Amino acid sequence: MKLIITDIENFSIPVEGDHKIIKPQGNIQHCIGCFGCWAKTPGKCVLLDGYEETGRDMGKCTELIIVSRCHYGSVSPFVKMIQDRAISYTHADFVIRKGEMHHKRRYKNIITLSSHLYGENITTIEKETALELLKANAENYDGLVKDVYFYQSVEDLGDVVL
Amino acid sequence: MRIALINGSPKVKNSSSSILLEDLKGYLGKNVEIVNVELHSPVITKEDIEELMKTDAWVFSCPLYVDGIPGHLLSCLIQLEESCVKNSKKHIYGIVNCGFYEGIQAKIALKILQNWCLKTGYIWSGGIGVGGGGGLAMISNMKPGQGPKAAIDRAIEKLALSILKNDITENQYVSIAFPRFLYKMAAQLGWRQMIKANGGKAKDLGKKLD
Repeated sequence: MKLIITDIENFSIPVEGDHKIIKPQGNIQHCIGCFGCWAKTPGKCVLLDGYEETGRDMGKCTELIIVSRCHYGSVSPFVKMIQDRAISYTHADFVIRKGEMHHKRRYKNIITLSSHLYGENITTIEKETALELLKANAENYDGLVKDVYFYQSVEDLGDVVL
Repeated sequence: MRIALINGSPKVKNSSSSILLEDLKGYLGKNVEIVNVELHSPVITKEDIEELMKTDAWVFSCPLYVDGIPGHLLSCLIQLEESCVKNSKKHIYGIVNCGFYEGIQAKIALKILQNWCLKTGYIWSGGIGVGGGGGLAMISNMKPGQGPKAAIDRAIEKLALSILKNDITENQYVSIAFPRFLYKMAAQLGWRQMIKANGGKAKDLGKKLD
């Protein structure tokens, strides 16, 4: 299953195969740092606003595709809030991978990550940061990196098939 | 000199971000005016923006969230970019703490702050990536410069000197001075205590949802 996380409300980009799209549908609450998703309702965020099950969805996917406006090399606040609230994809416990501390796996699936980032004036340094960010995400999810793609505007995504 | 200490943790109290700002305040001394700004939600008030604009330097302190800046703080940064006076020569500093042991894991979050400065015209003037942030609350009562927090305090002292001189420094990356395997064990014990306190069982920590 492909999991698409996007900040585009009227998302209409075609997606091949089995997929789920998480997009803005009503207000989202931001992560409050309570760790309830690890130690109260393991696997699920405690804030019940319709965006609480991304960690579980990530456990079922083979590809995680982010489609977002690029802000300073990061994804947009909406996409980031979704990611922040999905840390329960991993287990709370730590492991050491490649000499660095990360979280242990909760699920067995290997996720391949890609980002499609749009924005009028994405600078070279922001593009470098965005790639580093995706690689770091992949390291923390114990997954793989596909690539980061950049577009001048949402309209430029018109020819893309995910 | 007016310095804004910006707490970018979503937690209203007892955050590692606030502990680090308190430490910094101690090193900044009494000859500066401190303005505390609390950014715990995605919306920054007009009053806070006005207050921030009257200061000479800003210090952001936040936790590392999924390798970057927490979503709510990112939202505030966008608001601030829209409100700021371009090229006002304000100095910006950042302290990013992570639950992982290695402070270097905060490197990308500091880069995001640096990239934000490029967009606003503010001057990125250096930051600290703090590893082992999850343990700070337990040792916050220790004297500055002593115990497992000594290396972090040294980095904060160096940052304070830079702020006071309006200097630009390289980013520093430090970790809590506590063996990594013990930090890992203590954290894992903490999760087990927390889930039991919440009425669950230790084995539920690894629960897989259908």
